[in-house]
Amino acid sequence: MQPEPEQKPRNILPDCIIPALALIFTLYYLTTITEVPWISQASAIVVSGLLLLSILAFIIRSAWRIRQHQETLRIKGTLLVLLGEKPLIAKRIALLTLAIAYVWFIDGLGFTLTTFVFVFCGIILLSSRDNWKNALKVSLSCTVIGYFVFIYLFKTRFPEGLIEHWLKSVL
Amino acid sequence: MIPDLGVFFGLLSDILGYWWIIIPGTILGIVVGAIPGFSAANTIIILLPITLAMEPATGMIFMVALYTSSRLGAGIPAILVNIPGTAGAAATPLDGYPMAKAGRGQQALAISFVSSVSAGLITTIAAIILIPWLSQVAFHLHSVEMIVVMLFGISLIATISAEDKIKGLIAGLFGLMIGYIGADVVYEAPRGTFGFLELYDKVPLIPALVGLFAISEAFVVIERSTILSKQGEIDRQHSGWGPTFEGIRATFVHWKEVIWTSLLGLVIGVIPGAGAAIASFVAYQQSRLLSKTPELYGTGHIPGLIAPESANNGVTSGTLIPLLIIGVPGGATAAIMAVVLEYHGVNFGPDLFETQPLIAYGSFTAMLVTYVLLGLMILPLTRYFSHVMVVPTIYMVPVLIAFTLVGSFVPRAYVFDMGIAIIFGIIGYIARRTGYHVAAILIGVILGPLLENYFLRALRISQGDLTTLFSSNIGNTLWVLLVLSLIIPGLKRYRGKAGLRKAK
Repeated sequence: MQPEPEQKPRNILPDCIIPALALIFTLYYLTTITEVPWISQASAIVVSGLLLLSILAFIIRSAWRIRQHQETLRIKGTLLVLLGEKPLIAKRIALLTLAIAYVWFIDGLGFTLTTFVFVFCGIILLSSRDNWKNALKVSLSCTVIGYFVFIYLFKTRFPEGLIEHWLKSVL
Repeated sequence: MIPDLGVFFGLLSDILGYWWIIIPGTILGIVVGAIPGFSAANTIIILLPITLAMEPATGMIFMVALYTSSRLGAGIPAILVNIPGTAGAAATPLDGYPMAKAGRGQQALAISFVSSVSAGLITTIAAIILIPWLSQVAFHLHSVEMIVVMLFGISLIATISAEDKIKGLIAGLFGLMIGYIGADVVYEAPRGTFGFLELYDKVPLIPALVGLFAISEAFVVIERSTILSKQGEIDRQHSGWGPTFEGIRATFVHWKEVIWTSLLGLVIGVIPGAGAAIASFVAYQQSRLLSKTPELYGTGHIPGLIAPESANNGVTSGTLIPLLIIGVPGGATAAIMAVVLEYHGVNFGPDLFETQPLIAYGSFTAMLVTYVLLGLMILPLTRYFSHVMVVPTIYMVPVLIAFTLVGSFVPRAYVFDMGIAIIFGIIGYIARRTGYHVAAILIGVILGPLLENYFLRALRISQGDLTTLFSSNIGNTLWVLLVLSLIIPGLKRYRGKAGLRKAK
């Protein structure tokens, strides 16, 4: 029988991101409640205390496992855990940028135009430029259905822009 | 106050005459329930000009149909794409989505629909019979008791993070801290708002839900061609109507689960301000606690789907009771119904059942009719809804991101909320990739502010005396039950291990 291959220690740097975010936010939160009456502080102080204890337990456990060579803490490979293989890294970052741009522009340009551009670019990004015909069909149909169902029929409060104002005057 | 059978059947035939308003209300409810941001409450607000112009009974029947079906609709995206349509369906994906990924989406939908419809019918009948007693529940459950009810829901954090308790606790407590953002309910002191006025009114739930579930999931699934796992793709190829019937059968096999979780939802629904989210979390937690196979929860286990779906539909009839009896709405939708009925000069109270039975009993009868209609209309659609699972992610992801982001804009009409959804999306994505449970974060975000509100009220009433938390008999009983529910799983595990050691 062949001996089992030795397991590589797991990189736990990515696992530290959520505790780090929680810690930073909690410390910030605590600075904002110094002036408020104690009744308003009580609940948050109990929860933040428990959170800090949990983070401490996480640190102690990780330190123990690192000593036991079960886990390791290194920057190399962190991006791979978080964003996946190389082609996916680019896709995920581009999609996030596109989503941020969508939110940024929707207030001025309105739902219809921004959604059309976002869905079209999103499909091209996730597939290829050759898929532009399908991307056009899907983005156009989504936008038209979205406009008629939500804005025209249900009068939902969607961000409005040039196209919505123009359509309102026409329809 | 309980109507005799003759009166009831008379009402039933009257209500059936309103089919022309129940059917569109039902269809609309399913649609708005399934889209995050378009809750029944928002839709009724949008349609106020129409409902205000209707006769009070017609308006009430329309609103009830819409409200009832929206609860059921919220489970559809929760199962198929891991996006709960409302906070009330936040516990549904815990077992519904793993089933869908494994190619059992059609079966999961059938289970969700049958348990929702059954729970709705059971609790509506129970509500009609138990109105005099259920209307008293709200009088006995004050802030202190509600704190313990909230803690039941929050203890689910520990339950769902069984694989890694420390990570689960960090996620849940982080969620609770996020839930504490905003001005407190007593002193209006802003806390942790980063200076944003938009956060004074707490972190909005829909953007948090959209970010943690939809956006983060969208970024994860782009590495696959469809949402289905490889095994799921193979299993799904052989599906016809079989999975629908399997789902129906599986639900009836677990009939006890349906009954007790729906009744739990009914009781929680009666408490003003409690709502479907708490009911579904508490039902899931209790279902897991009482299960002989708790380790299967979270892996696509049928009772794990039945419990939250039955409970959140049980809430629906419960929320109407305090509204009709004492004029205190049990939730946001019931509050808007109150506005419409008050506009028509309807006076709430026990007399309503004598003076305007078509509105009082008619509301519950309309619920019964809606649930029967829902069952007939929606079950045949399970097969077609489940096709969503095979839509290529290259098309689904951009559409999903765009519409859910806009959905997070709708409740408050702030573009700021779309930004919040993206931030929660990033947090949710990191959490998913690194083994933290996004549901644990969401439980904290939903229940944190509610817990704090009750806690602050209790302290304010008792002038800061912490012993008030143990000052009521009902509260103390609930405390004991809570402690037992936390200890029993550990004891069970210990006994199991001891048994194994003995066997060796």
